[in-house]
Amino acid sequence: MRDRSFTPSRMLIYLVVVLVAVAWLVPLIVVILNSLRSNEEIAQTSMIGWPLKWAFGNYLTAWSDFCVAQTCAGIRPYMLNSALVTIPATIFSTLLGAVAGYAISLWRFRGDQWIYGIVTLGIFLPQQMRLLPWTIVLRDTGLMNTLTGLVAIHTIQGLSFTVLFCRNYYVSIPQELIRAARIDGAGFFRIFWRIILPLSPPILVVTIIWQFTHIWNEFLYGVTFTTGQQQPVTAALIALSAAVADIPQHGVQSAAVMIAALPTLLIYLIGGKYFVRGLTAGAVK
Amino acid sequence: MPITTTRRRLLAGAAATLALPSFARAQGVKPRLTAISQWSAGSDGAAITALGKKFEEKGGIWQHSPVPGFTTEMMNKLRAQIIAGDPPACSQLKGPEIAAWSKIAPTVNLDSVVAAAGYEKVVAPDLAKLHKPGGKWIALPLQIYSTNMLFLSKRAMDKAKADKVPVTWADFNELAEKMKSGGVTYPIANGGTRPDDGQKFEASLAGISPTAYRAAIMNLDKKALEGPEVKAAFAQTRKIADWMDPNVGAQPFATNAKRFIDGDMGMMIQGGWAQGVLRNAGFKLEDFIITPGPSDNSKPVFLLNADAFIFWERKEPDLQAGQALMAKLVMDPAIQTMYSQITGSIPVRTDVDLSGEGWSDGQRRTAAALKDAVANNQAVLSLAHNMAQENGLTAAMIDVLTEYVKNKTIKPEQAATRLAEAVEGAR
Amino acid sequence: MTDTVAAVTRTARPTTSGVVGRLPEYLTIWVPLLLSAAHLISFSLWTIWISFTPSTLVPVTGWVGLRNYTSVLATRNWNIAFDNLLLFGSAFVLLSLVTGLMLAILLDQRIRGENTLRSIFLYPLAVSFVVTGTVWSWLLNPGLGIQKLVQDLGWTSFRFDWLVDRDMAIWTIVIAAIWQSSGFAMALFLAGLRSVDSDLIKAAQIDGAGPIRMYRRVILPTLWPITITVIVIQLQFAISTFDLVRALTNGGPGIATQLPALVVYDLMFQRGLLGRGAAAAVLMLLILLAVLLPYAAWRHLQRRRANHA
Repeated sequence: MRDRSFTPSRMLIYLVVVLVAVAWLVPLIVVILNSLRSNEEIAQTSMIGWPLKWAFGNYLTAWSDFCVAQTCAGIRPYMLNSALVTIPATIFSTLLGAVAGYAISLWRFRGDQWIYGIVTLGIFLPQQMRLLPWTIVLRDTGLMNTLTGLVAIHTIQGLSFTVLFCRNYYVSIPQELIRAARIDGAGFFRIFWRIILPLSPPILVVTIIWQFTHIWNEFLYGVTFTTGQQQPVTAALIALSAAVADIPQHGVQSAAVMIAALPTLLIYLIGGKYFVRGLTAGAVK
Repeated sequence: MPITTTRRRLLAGAAATLALPSFARAQGVKPRLTAISQWSAGSDGAAITALGKKFEEKGGIWQHSPVPGFTTEMMNKLRAQIIAGDPPACSQLKGPEIAAWSKIAPTVNLDSVVAAAGYEKVVAPDLAKLHKPGGKWIALPLQIYSTNMLFLSKRAMDKAKADKVPVTWADFNELAEKMKSGGVTYPIANGGTRPDDGQKFEASLAGISPTAYRAAIMNLDKKALEGPEVKAAFAQTRKIADWMDPNVGAQPFATNAKRFIDGDMGMMIQGGWAQGVLRNAGFKLEDFIITPGPSDNSKPVFLLNADAFIFWERKEPDLQAGQALMAKLVMDPAIQTMYSQITGSIPVRTDVDLSGEGWSDGQRRTAAALKDAVANNQAVLSLAHNMAQENGLTAAMIDVLTEYVKNKTIKPEQAATRLAEAVEGAR
Repeated sequence: MTDTVAAVTRTARPTTSGVVGRLPEYLTIWVPLLLSAAHLISFSLWTIWISFTPSTLVPVTGWVGLRNYTSVLATRNWNIAFDNLLLFGSAFVLLSLVTGLMLAILLDQRIRGENTLRSIFLYPLAVSFVVTGTVWSWLLNPGLGIQKLVQDLGWTSFRFDWLVDRDMAIWTIVIAAIWQSSGFAMALFLAGLRSVDSDLIKAAQIDGAGPIRMYRRVILPTLWPITITVIVIQLQFAISTFDLVRALTNGGPGIATQLPALVVYDLMFQRGLLGRGAAAAVLMLLILLAVLLPYAAWRHLQRRRANHA
């Protein structure tokens, strides 16, 4: 364990890493501190500061009390809406992306490279550009103002990322494995189920993390394609911050931000280890 | 993606509704209203919720869907509903956008309800015009703010040893100098958002000459746009900008509330909404004075900013009944009183008595200023708050104004030329 | 070229069983892929079409030729946005690459608390851009944030006012973007470092290579493909940066930090000029192509070389 000793050069490494880590934590600390200060205190002093009086009540207000127009239930119902969209859309886009990635990388079919190229180009097509076309699609399919419509949009758009991640992961699985299974008489789905899926947890963690955070944090589609009762949690956060003609609700807003970010933060904390491991296992080629 | 179907649908919708005598058939059903607005939180949210309660008290079903965020997101939602052939029964919209949007989907003709309520007589003429494009009422204003109210910090006044409120720009500049030498770090305490920057210019120009403001900003007269008044307004704007804290960035004005009250900053040129903000932040009404913005001819100039509802054509009898009820409520003096007392605005109706309890001195002064300004033809439409021009033109003009406020190397003459060019380019 | 490669590798391709029996697998593969491709192609074509129409609040038919393009290109907004994208794009991609690589190398030194540190560098990815932008707008505001804090601590001449400085404001976006996304670069690089062949390292150690020489000669060259992936992902980030800027500077001071994505959204939805907004969007796609085509060509060459080897 020579490497773990504290030589001067290693001290330097620790110093640099810890300094950067502290800098990285500053925004989080600011939000946490603000979530424990009252709105009035922040308005009357400054946006950054130590709580003079701990306002733990902010969390209660944020969770279940504050009003978005006539609904005074905090961000709780909005969290549920976000979950109802994010969870199915994450699962669908991940599974479909895994199957497609598996087909493209290991089965090879006519046009596979072309379709792969087009689908992955989608990661570059900006959200704002797709807003109106999606409006028309939702109108024609009758899915306007339904959570189903949002799930469909996020699933289809998400494929660009999930196919990219999965295909690049599966491409490193040796062809011989598939060949052997085929000789044993296994078909497309059987091979996917028995051989590919058991190899997949690392990359599935990556795509799930990626999709979950992106859909959870999405705002534009969330407010345009839903009605008031179905809006995602990002809408409730904006409702707290965008009242121009009002005192900024920084305390409650920060508490709401912390609650709303909890699912994605947890997913990163738990999945972070697998994230790196998943990428190590091959998604980087 | 055949967008043409939308138009076909719209035309079909229009044709179908032509057959209905607007509200006559709406008897005998429970009124229902679908509404879209951006008012979701704070006093705005509280006010529209109170309106909804009144609607329900009258036996209606209130289905308000707030779209939090900037006005843009609210318009995205409205656009999506219109494209889907399912517009809300009524939605928040203001200024010239009412005319623009009324071209893309059929609206309700409100002439008969407005006439029955005798509403036209009690609304400022410039304001009325905005809500009846093509001569018919299709939208109803709900509340009014002036965007050029002057807020004076009592403590800063003490530091400057001043007790007179400034009336003209010369007075204003003198007071600012006095504050500066009396130890007020920044005589002006405004925010740094785009509307904030626009407000500084519009207050300057309208205060220098409401006539020039009308010609240049409202009628986009090219000569007026590069005229001496506009250049003088840019020069005045520069003075205001120089007295501001350069560190404000893009923060809203409320960020400076504390320093303003403490007398570290002296004056704010803001809309009436600032009163509610200061009050809700826990500051006392005695800590500041609200007065009409500087006007060189000493008569108050009123920069109108009004929130309104536009009514979209719907075939369902319950929605039509809801629209009739909503129109009646919005015009009702008691409802306007309730609404303005929550938000800090003043009623649209010029015949509401503000002497009673529940109104602040600032609101009374604002209402008096509106009456004076209308009488002297000095009530003009705010550019910064999208009342004077359609959003495309407004934004192009604000681009020039915000750049001018933030970039001190631009000369007033240069700015005037750029403003005229921006208008030309956006037309 | 794909055909020849495919012919060689298409060994796993099923040969006999009926099309009907394999319908489920065709459907599962093709329906999502075709839906995805179809929406991308049709949405792009639709935008291109709209860019030639006089559409304002809603899409309409009609033809105005290149008028939308000429008027977008004539605005100061677009020109500033274009220059900013070049500066922001290259500075952000380069700096996040360097930051990510540095963090990855440091974390790869078998240090204590690696899990915690890695989580710290990754957590910004979990936070929404709007929140990031807002918090950084406090921190970087000279009257509220870091500058005020340091000055209050006694260093009164300390200045850090890029946020309100027209020339430097774009760098505040670079800072916030690096904070938010270099964790991803770090994760990718760390993954790459961990998968370097240990025999290679041992061989270099036997040759007596020091740590710096080891990284320069042995380890870093193997990271080349990952670097390309990082660049592509970060470029995508740079080009579509929107919420972050909207919350951090909203294009200001003045219009100094406009970016193409901001201009597109602003024209389309705030100003109600769909035609011009679509034209700006098409211009943005053209910028993208200018970046992606060389990459595609490089990939093509690389694959060809690999096949020949």
